[in-house]
Amino acid sequence: MRMAKLDFEERIKVIARAPFHVYYDGEASAFSAKNAVGDFSILPGHADFFSMLEPCKVEIINGETITSFDVESGLVTVRDNLVYLFVNV
Amino acid sequence: MRRANLVEKDMVSIGTLKDLTNVFESLASTQVAKVKNNAQTGQEFFNLLWERYTSLRIDPRKRITERDGIGDLDRKVLVLLSAEAGLSGDLDQRMIESMQTEYDPSNTDIVVLGSHGANQLSQREIPYIRLFQVPESDVYIDVAPVIDVLMPYKTITVYFEEYLSLGQQEVRRMDLVSSIKTMTDELEEGTMTDFDTIFEPSIEEIAYMMEASMMSLALAQAILQSGLAQAASRFNAMTVAEDRASDLLRDYTMEFHRAKRAENDRRLREVLVSIKKKRREQAGSMI
Repeated sequence: MRMAKLDFEERIKVIARAPFHVYYDGEASAFSAKNAVGDFSILPGHADFFSMLEPCKVEIINGETITSFDVESGLVTVRDNLVYLFVNV
Repeated sequence: MRRANLVEKDMVSIGTLKDLTNVFESLASTQVAKVKNNAQTGQEFFNLLWERYTSLRIDPRKRITERDGIGDLDRKVLVLLSAEAGLSGDLDQRMIESMQTEYDPSNTDIVVLGSHGANQLSQREIPYIRLFQVPESDVYIDVAPVIDVLMPYKTITVYFEEYLSLGQQEVRRMDLVSSIKTMTDELEEGTMTDFDTIFEPSIEEIAYMMEASMMSLALAQAILQSGLAQAASRFNAMTVAEDRASDLLRDYTMEFHRAKRAENDRRLREVLVSIKKKRREQAGSMI
């Protein structure tokens, strides 16, 4: 399992979408949401991750810009700095 | 030759028919435009999710499709996604013909979505166990009641119509359960197991939650695709009907003008004959 590494130059790519709506598609520095275990954040270099979301507010941070939206359910997967969020599955 | 006023009456009827087909064509075209974008966006979403879902690898005995109450019924079910009304060309007919190749009444049940498919099955004396209505929608409809009916079956095969282009729609077949079961067969590159991936909650719980929702999503996406294909098929059928009505109207117009000219010629002939007769009479009286 890869450990998170502190590399501030590194970015993650986030694609957050529902069947008929794209919430976010682009680079980001962090992704935050909540699952059954609790609140969590994905930073660049995060280990491969697969999780079902609890109803929560999702935040995608890109520099000074924060994109946030509420989800009732969702699935998040992380692999090689690519974060997929499937909303309402 | 028919009389001009009779031909004119037919022309008016055909003109009305042409206008009607034009309206239906426009409606179908609007429906295609309305559904197409969502169907394609939904397909992209579904493909991405399916890719992630099929990369999961877990113990097959813990899968939802192996649990009590799921797949208990040792029969297979064919699901027919048809149109809710007629005027959708011959797509439903072609779909039923494809489905009949694997239909065996002794071990197969049929579930129909859409009353047009149900009517077609009844005409062929093929029984079905359930009929669900399909509202015309450009988003996913709630398929939970359909999934509840399908879950007890060992094999679930869905027949639906896929939109390839405005001029081309195809009958597709999708095996819902086996496409999920085959996931565990091989460990190829890109798979996710609990050895190399953090799962929260556990991989079993995620798989349990996902399997039912993937089945629903797959069915909802197939219904959306089917609706789009039916609208496109209706558009094509109406375009053909409008072309035929235009041809017919052209023929009738020609026939009308010929009949009119023939009537005018006849009247002219009658006038000339009577003038000649009058002249002859006048010439006779002068002698």
